[in-house]
Amino acid sequence: MAIISKKIIKDIFFKTSNILPKPYVNYLLFGIILVILPYIVNGSTLLTIGSVIVYAIAALGLNLLLGYSGLISLGTAGFMGLSSYFASYLTKDLNFPFFASLLISVFIPVILGLLVGLVSLRIEGYYLAIATLAVAEILRRIFEKFIAFTGGYVGKTADYPNILNVFMLDREGTYIILVIFLIVIMILTHNLIQSPTGRALLTMRGSDAAAQAMGIDILKYRLIAFALATLYASIAGVLYVHFNELTYPTIWNLGLSLNILAIIIIGGIRSISGTVLGAFVVYSFSDLILKEIPFIGEIPGLSNIIFGVLIIVIILFYPQGLIQIFKNILKSIFIRKDVKASE
Amino acid sequence: MIFSGIETGSFYALAALGIIIIFRTSITTNFAQGVIGMFNAFMATEFYYRFGYSTVESIILAIVTSIIMGILIDILIIRHARKVNPVSKQIITLGLIMIIMGITPMIFGTTNRDLKRIIPSGQIDFGSLHISYNSILNIILVFIIMFVLFIVLQYTKWGLAVRVTASNEYTARLMGVPTKMVTMIIWALAASLSTLASIMLAPSNSVEVNMMGGVQVNALIACVLGGFQTFYGPVIAAYIIGISSNLIVFYISDTWGEPILYIFILIFILIKPNGLIGKKLVKKV
Amino acid sequence: MSKKAIVVNKELSNDIVLQVDNLSIAFGGLKAVDNLSFNIKKNEIFGLIGPNGAGKTTVFNCITQFYRPNNGEVYFRTKRDKVVNLVGRPVYRIIRLGLVRTFQNVELIRELSVLDNLLVGAHIKYKTGFISHMLKTKKARKEELDNRKKAIEVLKYLGIDHLKDFLAAGLSYGILKRVELGRALMSDPNLLILDEPAAGLNETETEQLAETIRKIRDDFNSSILLVEHDMRLVMNICDRICAISFGKLLAIGTPKEIQSNKNVQEAYLGKDD
Ligand SMILES: Nc1ncnc2c1ncn2[C@@H]1O[C@H](COP(=O)(O)OP(=O)(O)OP(=O)(O)O)[C@@H](O)[C@H]1O
Ligand SMILES: [Mg+2]
Repeated sequence: MAIISKKIIKDIFFKTSNILPKPYVNYLLFGIILVILPYIVNGSTLLTIGSVIVYAIAALGLNLLLGYSGLISLGTAGFMGLSSYFASYLTKDLNFPFFASLLISVFIPVILGLLVGLVSLRIEGYYLAIATLAVAEILRRIFEKFIAFTGGYVGKTADYPNILNVFMLDREGTYIILVIFLIVIMILTHNLIQSPTGRALLTMRGSDAAAQAMGIDILKYRLIAFALATLYASIAGVLYVHFNELTYPTIWNLGLSLNILAIIIIGGIRSISGTVLGAFVVYSFSDLILKEIPFIGEIPGLSNIIFGVLIIVIILFYPQGLIQIFKNILKSIFIRKDVKASE
Repeated sequence: MIFSGIETGSFYALAALGIIIIFRTSITTNFAQGVIGMFNAFMATEFYYRFGYSTVESIILAIVTSIIMGILIDILIIRHARKVNPVSKQIITLGLIMIIMGITPMIFGTTNRDLKRIIPSGQIDFGSLHISYNSILNIILVFIIMFVLFIVLQYTKWGLAVRVTASNEYTARLMGVPTKMVTMIIWALAASLSTLASIMLAPSNSVEVNMMGGVQVNALIACVLGGFQTFYGPVIAAYIIGISSNLIVFYISDTWGEPILYIFILIFILIKPNGLIGKKLVKKV
Repeated sequence: MSKKAIVVNKELSNDIVLQVDNLSIAFGGLKAVDNLSFNIKKNEIFGLIGPNGAGKTTVFNCITQFYRPNNGEVYFRTKRDKVVNLVGRPVYRIIRLGLVRTFQNVELIRELSVLDNLLVGAHIKYKTGFISHMLKTKKARKEELDNRKKAIEVLKYLGIDHLKDFLAAGLSYGILKRVELGRALMSDPNLLILDEPAAGLNETETEQLAETIRKIRDDFNSSILLVEHDMRLVMNICDRICAISFGKLLAIGTPKEIQSNKNVQEAYLGKDD
């Protein structure tokens, strides 16, 4: 038994061959682990792990943007919020079915994102961070003040999704939906970064000059990356509101966008598994671990400080992030075993 | 109306100047500019309430702590990030926001605080228009600071060192410019400019964690509008933003004033991508 | 804002691939290229020489539209045998016309393997978009496979196929120069612009390079424009040479003519080449 599980772990982390089904198998395995995780750990962790999944989805988008095209968005929370309000409004006030509402709720932020990107990305990459910061600021104001649509400070509610009038999901069911979304998005992202588009993005990040000389339209690819980041964030927003049954303005602040940034820097830039690891570290750390520590856990802002420091330390000294440490540790374990076994 | 716009504009201008000097010397847009000011505004209240200094003394002490803070940030972090690419430097400043936002409630608690005006009361009346002495002081003070800084940047040896570092740090170092010293002073200066902005802003709002959010956004937008290539462009843009946002808020909409202004600026940037004073640079390949 | 690209059906005599007319560009007060004209014929290896800072790279940048020239036109005969003016076109469109370049300071992507770096050069060959890439459609897979095969062929051609899986970050300068050349070849150019391809190579490597460049000209049926400081190489492989100094034309001619030209000798005086 132990041998089998070790072999599986080994497969997950070392077989990065390009043969088609291999990575898919790994992702699916991971999905199954996620589904059973809340039951084997502790029932009450479902909410936490659900949030981890939601933030991991948004972070995957940001990782695509930052890691592959070298651009920063500070609008992640804003776009998430926007789609969450749409999802709530459409399903609750207008009685739209879940999938129709999902489509619209995701479409609108993406269009908004494209507009913002179109203006800011024509100039310099760093304009995007400023533009998205401003947009997030405007969105936050809309969430607070446009009461007819957003419910103001009180916020708006939503139900667990009702899929095709057949599956009336409860919290556990919705959690499974989250896992499915995460796994599908991980697989699609995996495909993308290994494709010509992924190479084009990396090229653009590494050298503007080379990218252009090789025929890569920088504006187009920046827009693709940003649109995808917005898309992922919006999906995360929709899932958030259905899983938590509530959305309100103070969630969608700059702090959340920074936490999502922290996820990818701490977890590992340009790494899908790193992003998920980062989401677990950032969100389960403060929810599950820090709060349990007596005395220290009560200090306000402590987790912020820890993640802020981690971001800076990792950028300066360990740019590959925690996933690299994780991989190295595993490697050292398995390689030693392998040597012994072959002797 | 225009007058209070000028006052708002001067807060933005202080923050924008801080951002642009850091941009030019450290090649990063400092997103932590606002929170540094916020933290030191708290320091001012601490000096005032806990240690019983007068308002002016507290402010001066807060400026001193901001200078120390700027120097520490440079020595502990920025100095080690020379080889780091500009995007990662931006992320470092975002990490700084998280740290400072986390430390603030830890030290100062979570309740809002007040900071008094330097000139507590009194105003000039022009018919229906009332302008407080304190606003006049703020405006004049900022004008003087800007004026002195521009003179220093433009006409002194030290200013030359800054400008040389700004145009090419590597060559500057070869030429014997103490670039380490320059960036350190710049970070200290930027921190104190932001602190001044937050202290001037504090009496009309209150001292709290998010007090500088708006200033930070507007200062960055001022840099975009004014162009990142000159020191004075963002400052001019900051005043324009201050004045026009006040006008729009007054005549059109209280809540939607700033969003409307941002949309105008977006359109402007579409037409003139390099900003008001932008020069188009040819990137060397 | 940008000058409209004008397709001028300029009469270029059939054997001319590139015609540079009265090209000028200034940076501030510095005239980096000053009223320069020359042309390149089909299947010609054409050298551009001049002392450091003469403006050679700038000429390349003006041709490939990295810099917008202040004055002058650049006519180019595309793969489809159409004559177009390159001035005013977006940089990323140039390669599609059949003109590709390398850089003086190698511009490869460190995080990508040698093979992947070559595939970047095939960017314009891909017809599928990012959605097909995400879904990994059949067409996308086939395209990728075809280009991969081609990239391996090019790597074999350049004698570096054993390095295909190495990351660019760890390789020697000489190898990187070759990888960059390979990347350029992936687009099947009919004009290849090389900025100091022999910089940093030792003597045997340089000799190999001379051989390779000639072979490329024949096998890929393309013209080659190159900047090079290694005079032996230039004189050895170039059919014609254009010498410039301070952005101004000194002389155009065969290697022999250039070597014996008074102006050229003067410009290089004090330089040991
Ligand atoms: N983007 C730019 N901005 C300002 N000046 C430039 C720019 N590009 C080139 N120059 C200047 O133009 C002149 C010609 O430079 P260029 O790089 O073309 O020379 P070169 O002949 O390629 O030299 P080398 O043999 O050293 O490569 C130089 O004085 C250089 O400083
Ligand atoms: Mg050159």
